[in-house]
Amino acid sequence: MNADRFEDHAWADVVPEDLLRIYAPYRRDTFVGPRPALVLIDLYNVAYRGGPVQPETLLGQYPSSCGIYAHNAIEPTKQLIAASRAAGIPIFYCTSDNRPFAAPQGGGATRRKKASTAQRFADDYEIWADFAPQDGDVVIRKQRASIFQGTPLTSHLNLLGVQSLIVCGESTSGCVRASCVDGYSSGLHVSLVEECSFDRHELVHKMNLFDLHHKYADVMHVGEVIAHLDGMIENRVAAE
Amino acid sequence: MSERIWDKYLTERDKAVFAATGFGALADWGKRPALLIIDVNYAFCDEEPKPILESIKTWRTSCGEDAWEAMPVLQKLIGVSRDKGIPVIYTTGSRRADNWDAGSWRFKAAGRPPVPVLDASARDGNDIVDAIAPGPRDIVVRKLKPSGFAGTPLQSYLQLLGCDSLIVTGTTTSGCVRATVLDAFAENFRITVVEDGCFDRTQASHAINLCDMHAKYANVRPSTEVVDYLNTLSQGMFDLPSGQGMATRIAAE
Repeated sequence: MNADRFEDHAWADVVPEDLLRIYAPYRRDTFVGPRPALVLIDLYNVAYRGGPVQPETLLGQYPSSCGIYAHNAIEPTKQLIAASRAAGIPIFYCTSDNRPFAAPQGGGATRRKKASTAQRFADDYEIWADFAPQDGDVVIRKQRASIFQGTPLTSHLNLLGVQSLIVCGESTSGCVRASCVDGYSSGLHVSLVEECSFDRHELVHKMNLFDLHHKYADVMHVGEVIAHLDGMIENRVAAE
Repeated sequence: MSERIWDKYLTERDKAVFAATGFGALADWGKRPALLIIDVNYAFCDEEPKPILESIKTWRTSCGEDAWEAMPVLQKLIGVSRDKGIPVIYTTGSRRADNWDAGSWRFKAAGRPPVPVLDASARDGNDIVDAIAPGPRDIVVRKLKPSGFAGTPLQSYLQLLGCDSLIVTGTTTSGCVRATVLDAFAENFRITVVEDGCFDRTQASHAINLCDMHAKYANVRPSTEVVDYLNTLSQGMFDLPSGQGMATRIAAE
């Protein structure tokens, strides 16, 4: 395995040589595992508010927006979803369970201060229209960071015989990270799609990708994952 | 199966309700089962078959002779499963020496007589009975609570193995077997409960819990039928533990 290829990802410009040496035992081949499902974490409207600009400039009005980073991920995510639909793999979304009476105080996904009333809108937690769920998709409402925590996800995966996840979405440091770790701990092979994942700051995004890639998930480029999904169709056609 | 073990405990109205509502229809078998053996340890079986009223003087939770009637059934199922390369997974209890992690088990223990001094060999009640001892390629899950899923890695093991179903045996039918069956059901596994491979301290509880599980969550079937089913499966479907080095470790314990 080419060591450079293993480290040829978003963190390459921020990770020093000594850290790479310490993390050498994590080097391995990366791949999409058998019987995969696509898991789209928190691709809801709040993350895109204010348009493709630096999140720092949106702090007043849209403090939860990932701005430019969210918008940069739109095109690759559309391609990833299209390839997943073509391959016929199960597609799971998740969004915040903000229904009234759902949770006691302090039961949120993070310890972040709540947005003010002026910063909140009724459709905040609807899935961004470009990725609108279709019939047959599953939307999980969750209260915590991980899509597994307090949800029926594992039961759905068992029913479908899913053995691997292809994960993307936001935020890399929060819900994506928590979901990847829980997925790995649940016995699933996890592939995380780099170009379709995002956060509010590049450094946080890069270092969390780095952590996940070495310990829990195979961070892969969207092109590699789409090629795998396309291959699944070819294999199926060949089998028929 | 016209007469079921629970029939004699049902009222006429119960029988009429079952007949009218269609509970208890048979589900299809799974394609990739694991054999689950719940808590067949010395605390629930004693060290030899003794009448239960005698046995519970030493092991308060013993199921007496009923446990030992199930033992040959378990041996048969374990043998067939190992030959086929089907995962064999045991559960048993785990407890700190100071009993702190008994937790909720203490809530109802207030009026209970003091726990008797255990047998002279000071055997650990959580040890799985030698007659069905785990083999090097089997898996043992330690648990604190009735369900084999509660606070354990069981779900992740079944995920790794790619299991879609469970063949459930062991004890007690009304306690840990039922709790495990319910949690497996909640996780969308197909479940068969082996009627003659399960036992309980209480005869009525055993029968009625089998009735409940058969009505809603599982197929309750005799072991002969389960063995026939296991024999239809392909050899070597699962990526089981290699078992390497386990024999030495088992001997050391």
